[in-house]
Amino acid sequence: MERTENNNNSNRLSDGLIRQNIVLMSGIAIAPVAVVATNFMNALALTSGFTVIAFLSVFACYFIPRKLSYTIRVIIYALIAGASVIPAYLMVGYFYGGEMLETLGVYLPILAVNPLILTKTETRFRLRKPHLMLLELSGYVTGFNVICMGVGIIRDILTNRQIGSLPVDLGFEIPAVNATFGGLIMVGILGGIFRWQYNQAKLRKIAKLEKEIEMQKLLENL
Amino acid sequence: MMEFISTFISASLIALFLQNAIYERALGINILLYASRKKKDVIGFALGLTYITTISSALVWVSDRFFWDFEYYNLIIPVLYILIVSIIYVVSLLVVWRYFPKLYWQIKKFVHLTVFNCSVLGALFLNRQIGESFFSYIGYGMGTALGFFLAGSLLYIAYERLNSELVPKAFRGMPIMLIYVGVISMALHAFVGYA
Repeated sequence: MERTENNNNSNRLSDGLIRQNIVLMSGIAIAPVAVVATNFMNALALTSGFTVIAFLSVFACYFIPRKLSYTIRVIIYALIAGASVIPAYLMVGYFYGGEMLETLGVYLPILAVNPLILTKTETRFRLRKPHLMLLELSGYVTGFNVICMGVGIIRDILTNRQIGSLPVDLGFEIPAVNATFGGLIMVGILGGIFRWQYNQAKLRKIAKLEKEIEMQKLLENL
Repeated sequence: MMEFISTFISASLIALFLQNAIYERALGINILLYASRKKKDVIGFALGLTYITTISSALVWVSDRFFWDFEYYNLIIPVLYILIVSIIYVVSLLVVWRYFPKLYWQIKKFVHLTVFNCSVLGALFLNRQIGESFFSYIGYGMGTALGFFLAGSLLYIAYERLNSELVPKAFRGMPIMLIYVGVISMALHAFVGYA
């Protein structure tokens, strides 16, 4: 019983982290990653901001009564998310400085109109109990954060030959990956590789299950 | 009068080519990937965006004019702009519901995607970069939506080929479409002369 519950919980977490990753699988938060995550520090600041906005807004939106019509609910969700940009803005300014806020530019406030908050809250998070909602949301947020950090680190290595302040010299540079088109192409390639790996893992799992069933049948026959 | 028209046109052209929301800033790319599957959706979303960004740019101009000197304006901008967009959204929906009930039921499902997305909010945030005049605001707002239409049309044209058997299975859909948008963005970059 306990094991099944643990499995369910890990499924809920991995759903947002892998199966429905909001950057590489469903593609609903591509812009900030493609444009702003150009180095380790930018990616770190962006993930911090996103974590604050997502948790505050989804948690607050969870308590909006269902009696209100969907049209009104969407507006309230957007306004709550807009308000949750304020603590995120202050936090990024405090920890990373005013220059970082300028670097992030419009990409921090536009996270407020992210479909994760406006759509998934309605179709998914609201339907769960509070602790399960937080668990699933953690999966989605971690999924975004991992990919954003990954993209930031790859770009930092390819353009600045470092990760943060740690030198990593590959012997060549590709400065164009810092441009918007570089980000789009990189996220596209990573998306393809991620899906390919996911499909391979799924096929391996199916093959393993089939083998287990065959073994069981063989044992029964014996 | 000619000055106002030229301001409007130049702001529109900047938003359409130099600072295209999709190719230059990747704003609204998730909506683009969704809308580019059908010609009807590209046109529908572009029309919706044009309406929302143009009208809200006008209201944002008024708000910027009055509150720009307010010390904490930066902090309240997201809420204020979302409020402006929401007011236009509700009023427009009421008008459509009252006078065009058939259209209301057709657009009801996805109209909120057109209104609350990053290309609308992004356009409103970037309006002031071009200039402080009313006509530059609405020109930039309209140009952003036209830029979305341009990007959507180019993606729609290639949609079938991008999702054909020529492309490896794992790359079909979002990954190859992003790479395609990236390649066009690179071409536009070179055309504009950033390189």
